[in-house]
Amino acid sequence: MRQLNDKKINEEQQSQEPNLKGTLISVVLLGLFIIIAWGSIFYIFMDR
Amino acid sequence: MHLHKYEKIWLIFGIGSLALFLVVLGFGAFWKGTHPQSHGATIDPENIEAHDAFQSENLGLTKVDEDKYIVNIAASAFNYDMGVDEDGNPVKKITIPKGSTVLFQITTKDVVHGFNVSGTNVNMMVEPGYISRMETVMKKPGEYTVVCNEYCGVGHHLMYATVEVTE
Repeated sequence: MRQLNDKKINEEQQSQEPNLKGTLISVVLLGLFIIIAWGSIFYIFMDR
Repeated sequence: MHLHKYEKIWLIFGIGSLALFLVVLGFGAFWKGTHPQSHGATIDPENIEAHDAFQSENLGLTKVDEDKYIVNIAASAFNYDMGVDEDGNPVKKITIPKGSTVLFQITTKDVVHGFNVSGTNVNMMVEPGYISRMETVMKKPGEYTVVCNEYCGVGHHLMYATVEVTE
């Protein structure tokens, strides 16, 4: 019985959307880092 | 296929940046004519004097027009040959007025050398059998050291020159 309940809970969890807020924030931070790094190097290239 | 809302955001962003960078690359290559510095111009490394630009009297700085200069250099281990001055001493420093357009033309008689006017975008590999060319505008006054940045042998660190950009 207990095993059956556990299974039900598992299925319920899987059907829900996973919470990806932290992932989104990390991806945005990484994206910003790449853009800022690229932009500053491009600025040096154009400036000199 | 089900995608999470956030996944859509970063996929669109990632693919968008890839497309943008390809456009930037294509713009540089096909519109602005950016290409490798040794752009298929060949020369016999055993006999570089056969090429007009590398005859000993044409080495070094030549003024071709108002604000337009050509610098011809024959690199070899461990020296940049930029011709001789009036007294017959080898030229180690060239002086260019600010804002002028300079075409650097370099080749090597022996091994691979580098040519980097440090602090500027002039940075080339000099390979035997090829002529490396790069045109640039010297915008900022100052004294720039030219260094060989491809290891060329025991005297590699002794291989340098100076470019001075005056007001």
